Parts: sequence; structure tokens; C-alpha cells
Amino acid sequence: MLTYHTWLSKVNPSFKFLIIAVLFIALLTVHNLNTMIWITGLFFILYLVFNGFNIKLSSWMLLLALILAVLSSTTMIFFGQGTHILFKWHFLVISKESLARGCHIGLRTFLFSILSLIFVSTTKPVLFFYSLMQQLKLPPKFAYGFLAAFRILPMMYEEFHIIRAAMKVRGIEKNKGPKGQYHKIKRYAITLLAQSIRRAQRTAVAMEAKRFSLAKNRTYYYKTGVSSYDLIFLLTMSMIVMLAFVLSSTLPLTPFTNVIE
Amino acid sequence: MSLTNSQYGVTRLRLAFPKQKEMQFKDLTFHYQKGEKILMLGPSGCGKSTLMQVLCGLVPEHIEYPVKADEIKIPEKWGYVFQDPDSQFCMTCVDEEIAFVLENLQVPREKMPDIIHQKLKEAGLHLDDIHTPINQLSGGMKQRLATASALALDPDALFLDEPTAMLDPEGTEGLWEMLKDAAADKTVIIVEHKIDHVVNFVDRVVLFNDDGDMIADGTVNDIFKNYQHKLIEYGIWYPGVWQNEFGNKPEAADIFEGQPLIEIEDFTVYRKKTPKVHVNKLLVASGEWITIIGRNGAGKSTLLEGMMGLLPCTGKCKNLSDETDPAFVFQNPEFQFVTDKVIDELQYGLVIKKVGQSIINEKVNQALHQFSLAPHIRQHPFQLSVGQKRRLSVACSLLENPKIVLLDEPTFGQDAKNTFALLEHFEKLRQTGAAVIMVTHEMEIVQRFATRVLEIEDGKLKKDFLTARGHLLLNKNEAGMVY
Repeated sequence: MLTYHTWLSKVNPSFKFLIIAVLFIALLTVHNLNTMIWITGLFFILYLVFNGFNIKLSSWMLLLALILAVLSSTTMIFFGQGTHILFKWHFLVISKESLARGCHIGLRTFLFSILSLIFVSTTKPVLFFYSLMQQLKLPPKFAYGFLAAFRILPMMYEEFHIIRAAMKVRGIEKNKGPKGQYHKIKRYAITLLAQSIRRAQRTAVAMEAKRFSLAKNRTYYYKTGVSSYDLIFLLTMSMIVMLAFVLSSTLPLTPFTNVIE
Repeated sequence: MSLTNSQYGVTRLRLAFPKQKEMQFKDLTFHYQKGEKILMLGPSGCGKSTLMQVLCGLVPEHIEYPVKADEIKIPEKWGYVFQDPDSQFCMTCVDEEIAFVLENLQVPREKMPDIIHQKLKEAGLHLDDIHTPINQLSGGMKQRLATASALALDPDALFLDEPTAMLDPEGTEGLWEMLKDAAADKTVIIVEHKIDHVVNFVDRVVLFNDDGDMIADGTVNDIFKNYQHKLIEYGIWYPGVWQNEFGNKPEAADIFEGQPLIEIEDFTVYRKKTPKVHVNKLLVASGEWITIIGRNGAGKSTLLEGMMGLLPCTGKCKNLSDETDPAFVFQNPEFQFVTDKVIDELQYGLVIKKVGQSIINEKVNQALHQFSLAPHIRQHPFQLSVGQKRRLSVACSLLENPKIVLLDEPTFGQDAKNTFALLEHFEKLRQTGAAVIMVTHEMEIVQRFATRVLEIEDGKLKKDFLTARGHLLLNKNEAGMVY
């Protein structure tokens, strides 16, 4: 899935994960629309330059992030409270304040998506879980459990296609209406779940047959450690946040410095 | 009898499956010596696999069945290869999977790459890059990887639980060839239903009956000579089973109508927007039994699904019968089930076509008896045995008397008894003037039943010829032929 290897993929995955988690929480306290615009813009540039996806996947992901952002902002824009009315039609009221708040929420959604994409597009799942075990002492049964589940997902996707073809052959399409739809969804769910549960059970037994529970002190095939890239990553991320704060006070793009008021 | 140092096994084992009244094993005693090569045979569901899991300690330590025994002696180091090539791995890539075993054994990281290369070599899995995703391997290669990970445990004993059940003949032969060398100095205990290749490898055969009792224990010759009737009864694939069932010649040649049913011209089938298989010209007539053969990934199933209209395609593929839609049987019957009861499953196709209830009842009852499903009408299709599931899926497809039947490896993973029963159903259907088109790897079916063979290679129809049986039929029915 990762097409390119940028310097971000050399950062310790656990460290990257923690920094981004801290950013998530810190950014919840930002109510200044200008700061939000600058932060989002700068991280967006970071993503564009250093993400590891190919253009096609990257574009789809961005489109998805955009749709999420628009959806989360519209409710606030159309129905939020405010005194400076810009537009009114039945229940639909757009005020200056609600517009600013809506944009702020939309930007935050987009920013969180971008941060997640920065992480996902530069981190191999296998290395992430190896790092969680080695640096953050995650119990191996969770780490390998997740990794085994990763293997099952593409199989489920394949099975989904086969089931769709099989349902077509059996003529389940002829069942129209809500009842037919319910029946169809139920069939997909039962078949997919039954396959996955049994597969998971078999995988678990196979893992035990390879003496998984026996190991008290595991060794690791992939060694994940600390490197200078971690420092560079920390500096880059803090620089971006600081730069955004400076720019928002020197080059404010909107008059809304606090969307809560 | 108490166990000596070199002896392993169980003494007076009692084991019950949850939610079952009857005990699976009642005072079963089974011992073996270091270095023995043992094959366990028995009808499906007799508990052979469970016994193997007891012998290595997976039961009851990790699979918690109630177990009682006077003594269980487990080999110190053992490896286990399971039946399903897809669900015995937990990592994404080949090297990581073997590394997982080495990590469990706390092998230092620096030593891992060498051991991984060595174990892959021992298991005959030659890859340019060991960091290859497992889902890109064929079934046979996956089972080699499973063997390599078992060998990474440096075992004294290997337990092989139907390792070739999901492999085609080529993969099966290759795996046993490899195991002959790789497991030469180890104790090997095998559960297997296809025993063509195993017989030369083992020196002791143990036979179980339906109740999980050991009814015979002896050399290969002894068992195959004196217990052949049991092997037939249990549907085991022993050498020469086809001859015993059907004799030396192909099936008799009788009806061959020769009315055109499918016309194909310049037909291309696409998978994920890329053309996968192309057929220039093909005419299928009633009364034909066509087998599509070729290597894995050549495009056999793709052609079948294209003919059924399940994949995007260009060109002409016309159903000339106009009476009914073609019937299609998928490789995994479970995907095809759309209801929660065997009886509903059989009725489904007719009910949605609004056929009268009296006709439905008549047809369903007939099918229940024909396919020996009558005792199971209230069960959930998923609870049936492998063979019953397959019979149910075929029964559902044949209920509407289709003129064209497309089958994707219908006998795959089936025991001999079930395979023969299915083949007889297909033959009956063919005699009523239907065209049977099946993908198969089983050359016995091709030689004995098929009238015509289509060989697909790299997405192209390489050969299209009549079999001996096809020629016989042709001579009898010269007037009606469409060629």
C-alpha cells in the first residue's frame, strides 16, 4: 500500500503515533479560525510533499477527507445560532457566527484526517505493531492479533465479491423492497461473519501450534529503535504549529479570532 | 501398558465434544515409536484430527474439550501443518511468518535470516524475494510455507492434518515429494483422504470407524488388502479406487443429442478491468460433458463466470436454449446459501419464481432423496458436513432442470463416495439432454466422463478436442452433430 518511502517512514512508528495523538488533543483547544486555517494549510503541504501513497490513492483519500469535512461543517453552518443573519429560508438560517463556527469544525475534521493520513501513509502496520511491542510494551497477543486480523480483511473483501456473484446466481436480486434488502444484508452478514469467525479460530490454533503462548521473552525480527529522524520529526511538527500561531497573528485571514464567543 | 522412553501416545483416552451426548473417544489407546510414519484413515467426522491434536497437546491446552486419560505422552518438539492454506498464517509476508516462529522460540534476531532461507529451502519454496506477500502464493506454495514454519520449530515429530485437501493434483504431488526428504528423519503422523502419494511414504496405517474406535492397525499392504471394503465405505481415496468403482473403460456412450445450446464468438472476459481469458469460437451442444482443464490461474474459473454473466465481458456468448437460465455451482458451496434451513434452501429458487406449492413440494422431496439430504431438512446449511453442503448446493442448482450447468471444481475436497455420487447426478442430467461444463483438475473425470476437453493456457483456449467417449458418442449420432 505504501508506494513511496519518505523520511517520515523512517521515524519510529510509536513516537510518530504519540506525537500525532498529542497534537489531536492540543488542537481541540484551538478556537481561533485564523490559526486553524494556517495549521491545516501547513500540515496539508507536509502531507502533499511527504506522503507515501501513490497519486490515485492519495487523491481518493483526500476526497474522502473533504467530504467528511463538508458534511461536518454543514450542520453547523445551516442551523447554528448567531445574530448577524446572512441568509434565511424556513428553518435554514446562516449567520456570520455560524458560518465561522462551521468552517472551523470543517477545518478541524479535515486537519484530523490529514494528520491521520500522514501517519497511515508513512507507516507499515507490521512495523507499527512491532514498535508498540518494543517501545510501548504492548502485550504481544494484541499486536499479533491485530496483524492476523489485517490478513483477514482482504480475504473478506474477496469473499464479499464471491457472495455477490453467488447471490445473483441464486436470484436474491428478485427480492425487492425493504424486506428483500433486509434479507440480503442478513445473508451477507451471516456468511461473512461465519467465515471470519471460523477462520479466526483456525488461525488462533495455528498460532498456538507455533508456540505463541510459550514465549516469555520474545525476540523481534524487526528491531525498531530511536534515530535522529525522530528528533527531526518532533522539530518539524512543533515548527509547523508555532509557525501557524505566528502567521495567524501577523497575517490573519478572517476577523474571527474566537469562534466560541 | 506403561509407556517406555521412546514411546509416545495416549492410554485410555476419553474425550467429548461440547454439546454432544456421545463421547467421541471411549478408552482409546494409541502408541507410536520415535521415527514412525503413520497414516490415520477413517470417515470424516470420526475424530482423527482431534486425536492428532491430543497427541501434540493442542487439545486440551488450547482447544478446551473435556479430556481424561491415564497417560498422554507428547513429543518434546513437534510441528503441525493444517488443512486450510489460508488460515494458518498470522503475518503478511513469507519471511515474517517464519520469523514469527523463531521469535516464539527466542532465536536472536541476527540468526533469523539464515534460518528462514534454510527452512524455505528445506520445504522446497524457492522465492526470488523472501519478503513476498503470502496472498500472492498458490495453495501448494502456501502449504510449503506452512511446512517451512513447522520445520522452523526443529521438530522431532510432524503432524500433518490433511495438508493436501485444498490442493490440486500437481500441488499434492509436489508437497509429498518435498515431505519425503524434509521429514525423512522425523516421526510423521498424517491424516489424509487422498492417499495416492502417501502410501509410499508411510509404514503403518491406522483405521478408525464412525464412532472413533480404532478398527485396524497394520502395514500398508495389510490394510489395503484386508480392509478395502471399509475404505470404500468411508469414501477414502485409495489407489485404484476409480477402477474399482467404474472399471477400466470410460462410461458407456448413449445419448448425445447435439442441439446447439451455447454459441461463443470472439469472447473476452475481464477481471479488474484487464482481459483475463479469450475464446475465439465455441459451440456447446446438448448432451455434451465438457471439462475445462489447465493450470491454476490460467483463467478457467474466469471463463465459467464470464459465461454466466458474472464478470464484465465483450463479444458474443449466447444462450440458445432460451428455456432456462444456466445453473452455476460455486467452488465454496457456503457462499451460495441464502436461507437458514436445508428445506428452505431447496425451495428458494422455485419460490421466487412463483412456482405452485404442490410442484415445489414434489420436486424438493425428490431432490432430498436423490441427494440423501432427507434427514437434515431442518438443519442450518452451515452445519452440514463438507459433502452434504456440496450436495445441497448442487441439488439447489439442478432443481429447476437447467439445460446448461456450469460447475467450478464441484468434486474439489470431496471424499470418494461423494464424488462418485455427484458424478452420477451429472451424468443423469447429461442424459436428459443438458450440457455439463465443469472446471476440474481430476484427470480421471476427464478420461472417464468427459466427452470433450477444453484446455486453457494463459487466458487462451489452447486445445479443444473430443475424448474417447466423445468420439464414441459422435459415431453413434453422426446426424445430429453440430460440428
